[in-house]
Amino acid sequence: MSDVILRATGLRKHFRTGGGMFARQSTVRAVDGVTLDVRRGETFAIVGESGCGKSTLARLLMRLLEPTDGRIDFDGRDISDLKGRDLRDLRREMQFIFQDPFSSLNPRMSVGRLVAEPLETHHPQMGREERREEVARLLGIVGLRPEHADRYPHEFSGGQRQRIGIARALASRPRLVIGDEPVSALDVSVQAQVVNLLHDLKAEFDMTLVIIAHDLAVIRHMSDRVAVMYLGQIVETGTTDDIFAHPRHPYTMALLSAIPEPVHGRARTRLALSGETPSPANPPSGCRFHTRCPFAREDCAQRVPELRPAGPGGQHAACHYWEEIAAERPDAGTPPAHERKPQAAARFALYEAAIDRLNDRPETAVNAGANDMTQQEEDRR
Amino acid sequence: MTTPLLAVEDLSFRFRGHDQDVVQNLSFALGRNETLCIVGESGCGKSVTALALMGLLPSDAVRFGGGRVTFDGDSYGIEDAGRIASMRGDRMAMIFQEPMTSLNPAFRIGDQIAEAVERHRRCGTEAARARALEMLRRVGIPAPEQRLDEYPHQLSGGMRQRVMIAMALANDPEVLIADEPTTALDVTVQAQILDLIAELQTETGMGTIMITHDLGVVAEIATNVAVMYAGQVVEYGSVQAIFDDPQHPYTIGLMSSVPSLTGPHRRLSTVPGTVPSIGQMPPGCRFSSRCPFAAPICAERPPLAPIGGADHQVACHFAPLETMQERRA
Ligand SMILES: Nc1ncnc2c1ncn2[C@@H]1O[C@H](COP(=O)(O)OP(=O)(O)OP(=O)(O)O)[C@@H](O)[C@H]1O
Ligand SMILES: Nc1ncnc2c1ncn2[C@@H]1O[C@H](COP(=O)(O)OP(=O)(O)OP(=O)(O)O)[C@@H](O)[C@H]1O
Ligand code: SF4
Ligand code: SF4
Ligand SMILES: [Mg+2]
Ligand SMILES: [Mg+2]
Repeated sequence: MSDVILRATGLRKHFRTGGGMFARQSTVRAVDGVTLDVRRGETFAIVGESGCGKSTLARLLMRLLEPTDGRIDFDGRDISDLKGRDLRDLRREMQFIFQDPFSSLNPRMSVGRLVAEPLETHHPQMGREERREEVARLLGIVGLRPEHADRYPHEFSGGQRQRIGIARALASRPRLVIGDEPVSALDVSVQAQVVNLLHDLKAEFDMTLVIIAHDLAVIRHMSDRVAVMYLGQIVETGTTDDIFAHPRHPYTMALLSAIPEPVHGRARTRLALSGETPSPANPPSGCRFHTRCPFAREDCAQRVPELRPAGPGGQHAACHYWEEIAAERPDAGTPPAHERKPQAAARFALYEAAIDRLNDRPETAVNAGANDMTQQEEDRR
Repeated sequence: MTTPLLAVEDLSFRFRGHDQDVVQNLSFALGRNETLCIVGESGCGKSVTALALMGLLPSDAVRFGGGRVTFDGDSYGIEDAGRIASMRGDRMAMIFQEPMTSLNPAFRIGDQIAEAVERHRRCGTEAARARALEMLRRVGIPAPEQRLDEYPHQLSGGMRQRVMIAMALANDPEVLIADEPTTALDVTVQAQILDLIAELQTETGMGTIMITHDLGVVAEIATNVAVMYAGQVVEYGSVQAIFDDPQHPYTIGLMSSVPSLTGPHRRLSTVPGTVPSIGQMPPGCRFSSRCPFAAPICAERPPLAPIGGADHQVACHFAPLETMQERRA
């Protein structure tokens, strides 16, 4: 068994838009030649700014969208042309978690039905009683209680709804789960609960996880390897540690330098980008980043850079000049860890210990968030 | 701080039909060229506080229990809608959480900004338009001459947000209230916007109230920080105090939930559970239903609320928590 579970080769998705009576027809090159390998058991992250093609790529990988060009292999098998029944069988192995916990669940289905539905599709041989038990088990795994099965999505908070979405995704016992911004819509404290949950589930179920996010701190926290996208293409890829310690592509450098760090009194020099992201319907010639790149040289507008090795750990960058730029900007990576003041550190430790004690007591916050009523629920009382 | 530019004392109000305050005993002081950041979980009352200060809460839906505002030496009650309206958009401006609520889809953006300028400055149309153009340029909108004549729907979300910011800043307000102005934006655009606000502050001495849930943004721009939980300020202090000497369990929980960009990977700590709804607030300390340190006294007696102005204040019976060690031992 190869260690690559999912491979994309030269993947493209072009959308035709306009072409009505007034609008000129144009082609949006949402994903424009993506090649990547996801390894078995890892968490692979895709990052980039709004509109760069992350969701389109995720939907292509899941075969929720037809690629314009290119090929996808899952577990060594070409799945680019699967149809009908074969495609349905594939869905059992690959599941999707949506960004928006508010609109991705059918409001008229009870939580129990929502979680049972994929079981019926993918494990039709399962008896009624067995299915009911499985639903309860899945709800427990994501930190909800069996009696939640009778309630409806609107009775739950955002974090709880995202847990329902995760329970649904896990129902078919997939080997690969793709999450499109699975925690972006959540409040930081709820986000932390769901991030921890995904981390635990991955270990428990031996899953591979592909996550899309624009929050680099979340990505650093969750993932083993990262691909950075710009205008439909991957501009840099490597292990999370390599990318954060020594980014090689100027766009990655700019992204990292723009994140405000929750540490007081540490000024960092920002690598500012000029202008707007160009439209994917009309990407710039040569290096697509040249219109905004602070290091652009004259020939960057003509020559297209290919992803090429940029470090010993498998890091790759699509920039003609990364060697020179890296020498110019040796401190482009994230700064060394910030030490908390001793008094603050002691309080954080105290807090963590107190939370752990709570978690050890089975009837309290084992499933942080699960035991709490939602607003609507309380208001109805 | 000498005389503050804007001081709020004991602001409390509730929505009709509720028997609990949605915002309770909120106080703060903001000096010229300072930034006060308000942080806290979704629903804790950040936006309604901002709307109250701007006089934009529907008067028939809300009941004020108190609140004195002192703006540049003038003092008035928070319910004095006429007084507040006379300053709105001119001396006090707001950037709203949802950009589309304040842009009219039927008008060109240049006209919308120019109109806001004309209304307060009594300058000519020409001058107002020139100012609109200048502001669009300053918020980093490319080809601003063309954009002036476009409609909101022709702009990307990020550009619309910048138009809103241009409109709020066009009259050089003395106080800017920004409600999550950069949440919907990419980090590189966010950085640009924060730089712009800082630049205007040094130029004009504007005081800024920034509502955000991003502690990174807070660390970067705040002078003072108010941490809110369930309608109350639970900790208030300088940005140093909050980051180097946090004392309220909620502040600490919030900070430990944020994944870090540096340092070793560790499991995220969380604030267990969710916020109770206003009708279900525990008596005593509102955080007691989620606080890992809660003791019997917490559910009985509310801790004192912080008063804006003093250096560092915490509403917790056990702050700064060092005593918890002995209590547990
Ligand atoms: N069905 C479609 N028809 C036409 N254009 C589309 C379609 N879906 C996506 N696009 C365009 O393709 C580009 C990539 O969109 P995509 O949703 O993949 O971006 P994204 O990286 O997920 O952005 P975000 O971070 O905002 O979610 C965008 O320019 C978008 O407008
Ligand atoms: N017009 C209204 N009538 C009744 N309740 C309201 C009204 N507006 C807001 N609320 C309630 O007041 C509380 C505070 O809301 P607010 O919008 O200030 O939260 P917030 O802190 O800004 O949250 P977020 O971070 O999600 O923007 C919420 O519980 C909300 O449901
Ligand atoms: S190839 Fe040129 S324009 Fe592209 S990232 Fe490298 S230096 Fe910048
Ligand atoms: S007063 Fe009690 S419940 Fe409230 S924050 Fe302090 S320790 Fe926790
Ligand atoms: Mg997307
Ligand atoms: Mg709000």
